[in-house]
Amino acid sequence: MTESELHPFVESIAREARRPVVTDPAARERIMAAVRAEPVPVRQSGVWSRLVAPRPFRLSPASIGLLAAGLVGIGVLVGDLALNRDGQSTAERPSGAVAGQLPVSDTVVRFVYVAPRATTVYVVGDFNGWDTTKTPLSRTSKDGVWSVTLPLSAGRHIYAYVVDGSWSADPHAPLAPDDGFGHANSVKLVRGGSSL
Amino acid sequence: MTSDPRGWVIAKDMSDDAADVQRVLAGDVDAYAALVDRYYDRCARYAIRMLGNRDDAEDALQATFLRAYRALNRYQERDRFSAWLYRILVNQCRSVAARRAHRDRVFVREEALLLNAPDRTPNWSGEDEEFVQRVLNELDPLLREAFLLKYIDEMSYEEMSALTGVGVSALKMRVKRACDRLRDRWERIKDD
Repeated sequence: MTESELHPFVESIAREARRPVVTDPAARERIMAAVRAEPVPVRQSGVWSRLVAPRPFRLSPASIGLLAAGLVGIGVLVGDLALNRDGQSTAERPSGAVAGQLPVSDTVVRFVYVAPRATTVYVVGDFNGWDTTKTPLSRTSKDGVWSVTLPLSAGRHIYAYVVDGSWSADPHAPLAPDDGFGHANSVKLVRGGSSL
Repeated sequence: MTSDPRGWVIAKDMSDDAADVQRVLAGDVDAYAALVDRYYDRCARYAIRMLGNRDDAEDALQATFLRAYRALNRYQERDRFSAWLYRILVNQCRSVAARRAHRDRVFVREEALLLNAPDRTPNWSGEDEEFVQRVLNELDPLLREAFLLKYIDEMSYEEMSALTGVGVSALKMRVKRACDRLRDRWERIKDD
């Protein structure tokens, strides 16, 4: 649709909304004051990038129990916020993950994504070091259903799909808080025997 | 530095942005002020139109520029700084909107009163910013986001897809639905 095809009312709304807004000059100063309170960012070397890259870690069983209880609470809150933000119907989404992921066993999770025209689909997340080539999904049907089964530790996992090189959140899972990189990620909670 | 017809401030050959980023990473924090000045107005327009009020918009803008600053060492120069910054902005606006939705549920009674309030400006002349904002606020946030990116920031669907991570066909559907909703709104105004 081009703007010339817009209904006159819609076009006038867009035209009015395109006008510059009046901003508070002091707002920029407040931003710079906050920036100056931050440490100066330093360009990362390859070694530093590897050091700070997300990676799995081990906890004692008691710690896992406490952490899982806390994470479930946080996850429920995050999911509630995200789902209430996203009020669209599923019919609006022509492709995407099917009903989130299906629990298979205690710590094994199946990731499913529907992308009929895709040539490659990968899942990336904290569980694979955000490696965009490490965990491919396999096309499991002619309908464009892609899936992979992964063992996941109990807890809250952040993940996304990379479909033909494009980052995509799971449209049927709660969105994770912004990662600061502009990518939309999804949240997966895994706890004893089930995948939420 | 110039402005293009869409109202975007364009850094010369993107070299201004790259040079400013390099200066910041070399320890010149004040160089970041040039990036803030260059992109603040455009980001502010999106944030205000998206969130519907200046307080929330300023929260989103502050978080956007602060997060961009913190992540500046991970910014890849092959990407346009403006597109990278805008991705952060769109996500920040989503986060602020989600927090507000949660907060507003605590005040359901007040919200219901607002929804039942009579439309004070049925005879819109086309130049009432408050009315325009109100009409935009009535759109579902995802529809509003798509409409703003398409018709206020005048992005292509490919740019929108790269920015949001949403497929082109889904974005087209959202824009169409937003336009349909606005047309419905016009019909209601006419009937009043």
